[in-house]
Amino acid sequence: MTQDDPFGIALNTGKLKSRPKDASPKAEAQSDAVAEKHGFVDRAPRKKRGRKPSPRTGQVHAKVMPEVSKEIAREARMRGVQQGVLIEEAWALYKADKELD
Amino acid sequence: MPTIVVASPKGGAGKSTTAVLLGTELARGGVDVTMLDCDPNRSLSLWAERADLPDRISVQSDVGESGIVRTIKAFDADGQVVIVDLEGVASRLVSRAISQADLVLTPMRATTLDATIGARALELIAEEEEALDREIPHAVVFTMTKAIQSKQHKGIEASLRGQGIDVIDPPLMERAAFSGIFAFGGDLHSMPPQGNMDSARANARAFAMEVYKRLTGEV
Repeated sequence: MTQDDPFGIALNTGKLKSRPKDASPKAEAQSDAVAEKHGFVDRAPRKKRGRKPSPRTGQVHAKVMPEVSKEIAREARMRGVQQGVLIEEAWALYKADKELD
Repeated sequence: MPTIVVASPKGGAGKSTTAVLLGTELARGGVDVTMLDCDPNRSLSLWAERADLPDRISVQSDVGESGIVRTIKAFDADGQVVIVDLEGVASRLVSRAISQADLVLTPMRATTLDATIGARALELIAEEEEALDREIPHAVVFTMTKAIQSKQHKGIEASLRGQGIDVIDPPLMERAAFSGIFAFGGDLHSMPPQGNMDSARANARAFAMEVYKRLTGEV
């Protein structure tokens, strides 16, 4: 082995041994206590609570007859979806019928 | 599986550069290396995505505080090396990783600010050794050093050595190839030439060899 080529011989991986380390919850708590004392605190990002925002941000401005409005609302409520989902489905059927892309 | 944790609460100290150079040089020497990217900035992952990973290297991304101990344990196998790259902040993730380390490397530039903040990691290690009742080998590696050492560098190094801190010689010098490796991915042998490649390769190899000696108890 030379200074210019210290890897002139392959490293002996057999010499690479792991030392025993305590990974128990107690050891973790001890480590956390030491960390806090030295200002090494919990910085893990907090997960946002609650429902994720809907991707349905497109807006249509449709006025329909009152009975149709009630039927759409009832159907959406029964299926547990937004009314926009029904409009998307109706639009897909319309496009298929008209053979639009 | 010796676990090497690269830790300093100081950002920009050269942690990810140290991790990549060490990992790629050990892999080139025939060692299987698993690199854990625990930095939300994903420096290691970005390097890994730039080009095909060198042989014998795998990268695990987005390892967080809750999963760090479990992830290190998952790759526990003799003859391999795990390298943990941490964010440059004082977080509990740092202390948990240190608790599972066979060797902690603290990179620091040869400036008073880096040394002062880097010393916090050394204090944490010392107290963890006491709390966990086991020795945690650790060493400082100077990064981005110049060919001619400044008075500041000499003073900081003498101070550390005087306190019994292990300082790895050679340091990792400021080299175009060391910063360029994040632009091209791969290792110092696969990337397009950036500056004096022979010197960069020799520097990285000699540094990795010193780390290897510490893992095998030859130092």
